[in-house]
Amino acid sequence: MRDAARVLANVRRGMLPAHIYNDAEVFTAECERLFSRAWMFLAHESEIPQVGDYVVRRVLEDSFIVSRDQDGDVHAMFNMCLHRGMQVCRAEEGNASHFRCPYHGWSYRNDGRIAGLPFHKDAYGGEEGFARKGKRLLPAPRLDTYNGLIFISMDPDAPSLTDYLGGFGFYLDYYTKQSASGCELLGPQRWRINANWKIGAENFAGDMYHTPHTHTSVVEIGLFREPQAQKRKDGNTYWAGRGGGTTYKLPPGSFEESMAYVGYPADMAARMKEQWTAQQQDVIGRDGFMVSAASAFPNLSLVHNWPKVADSDAVVPFISLRLWQPISANETEVLSWFVVDKEAPESFKELSYKAYLMCFGSSGMFEQDDVENWVSLTTTAGGSMARRLLLNGRMGMLEDGSPVVPPLTPEQFAGPGVAHVGYGEYNQRHLLGEWADYLERPPLDVSQITVGRQQPDLELAGDPT
Amino acid sequence: MSARVPIQSTDSPLGQHASRTERIGSSLPFDDARHLLAHRWLIDEAYLLDDQDYERWLDLMSDDIHYFMPIRITTAAASSFDTARRMAHFDEDKYSLNRRVARLHTEHAWTEDPPSRVRHHLSNVRTFATDNDNELIVESAVLLFRSRGDIAEPSFVSAGRVDLLRREDRDWRLARRHITVDESVLRTQNLAVFL
Repeated sequence: MRDAARVLANVRRGMLPAHIYNDAEVFTAECERLFSRAWMFLAHESEIPQVGDYVVRRVLEDSFIVSRDQDGDVHAMFNMCLHRGMQVCRAEEGNASHFRCPYHGWSYRNDGRIAGLPFHKDAYGGEEGFARKGKRLLPAPRLDTYNGLIFISMDPDAPSLTDYLGGFGFYLDYYTKQSASGCELLGPQRWRINANWKIGAENFAGDMYHTPHTHTSVVEIGLFREPQAQKRKDGNTYWAGRGGGTTYKLPPGSFEESMAYVGYPADMAARMKEQWTAQQQDVIGRDGFMVSAASAFPNLSLVHNWPKVADSDAVVPFISLRLWQPISANETEVLSWFVVDKEAPESFKELSYKAYLMCFGSSGMFEQDDVENWVSLTTTAGGSMARRLLLNGRMGMLEDGSPVVPPLTPEQFAGPGVAHVGYGEYNQRHLLGEWADYLERPPLDVSQITVGRQQPDLELAGDPT
Repeated sequence: MSARVPIQSTDSPLGQHASRTERIGSSLPFDDARHLLAHRWLIDEAYLLDDQDYERWLDLMSDDIHYFMPIRITTAAASSFDTARRMAHFDEDKYSLNRRVARLHTEHAWTEDPPSRVRHHLSNVRTFATDNDNELIVESAVLLFRSRGDIAEPSFVSAGRVDLLRREDRDWRLARRHITVDESVLRTQNLAVFL
């Protein structure tokens, strides 16, 4: 990456070299230094509820089978046969006790262990020549879960997922732990957009400034009562640990009144109250802020909103979780799920699903206008003029670096991290600050994994050729 | 074994209200008046979509329309499903279709301003009788070509459709549309257009 030190220094002062949104060298650096170390979202446990259930998901170009084995344990296994490298599972989802490679017939149990190796004796001399015992599809270097969200890291030395997320876990609970049973994910819808992956992550992390303008149309047709400019400005943006998001300011009222205002039935709100700590309840009931869009570094985002889904004044909340899966510097695959509390009544699940479809996802009226902007931005960022332009990402910050408005005090906002009311690009700067920190680290040094040999490769070292 | 598992409105919690009418017998001959009527209806509809004359297009929808485009997924041959369970790209009723059209008529639907150039290429039209003289089932293949801006690569969406046409007073309206999209991962930036 050319001038890496200067790019990162500019990013850190909120002046963004425009080319970082469409630059193959930057993307290569991201692959080597960021995606190889960060925790990446793969799937949710509710997508594989039964023994034998699996889904196949990718991290960049690496395919992983996420399976639930016969004992109910969850695995993420590199989807490549140990023998000649064929994909052992070519479906996106299903239920299987075994995966069999179509090339030479090696088969693996759904926990990854080798189950069958054709002509083992004739081809390898049996166990003595190739010990099947202990051989398995390569597991993801690290796997961990939070509220059933399955993450992996390619870095064996990555911090624990809890440490990695830090204070953001507090906010993840609003979206993914609304009852003791947790949430279920439905989907994903998948589609590809000609946009850089960072833009979506930044937008969901903290771009309250775009809402009144980009999303004018959905307000005009009476779908939303919230995005009016005044309401958006009264919310805050918070950043904690490795994630942050936006909130809407609610009319004054108790926790129960606030949950009812955004359309949750009383029994659902009561379950949330049981799940959430007093501090989590205070953000809503005492301080009057309701979580909206958010991002966890690097590329996982969430959104919570409450449109009208029928010709009445009633609103229905929905939650979506999405992954901005990087394909290249200028292409992203969006995976967008509908998230709902497992214990929600069926009638609520149906209306919430309808609310999601109308607003977000591949046909969502809210989402459509976002992507139009991101594609256009990405295209322009690929040119030579973009290499000269430093975009001003310093909103909310005065020339000397001090904030336009002071952060909220703990008396004003019970959540962890730092939060500001009003328009500001605090969170985009936090997200890109993390990005800069990762890009500054050396590429991950990986060791190779030997399959089917107990002896060290001494003869290779001593090979006279 | 079949490459395709039929789509039913009952697969969606939002499609329970939809008509359950099914086709009867083999496809009608191409010179059958009912086939000619259904074929002409589809072609006229495609022209409205290509013109983005969505107000007149909405007038073709019955009040109980279920406009349904599930997500296709890649599954093993032995599986009994090839769509995602309880998730779709479109799962619409008259209200939601109406809101989508209303949005396109605001001055702020940026994703279609400038508008896409779209063309629906229709083929493989087959018409089937039902047990109701006022209802026909018509199948078609549609290739949607969509171009935005000047030099951006065009996008395509290929799909099969199974429609229920119903005579209401003197007009034929679309009462149900099941769209079998042929890609698991769509390669168009959104579905701000209709199939």
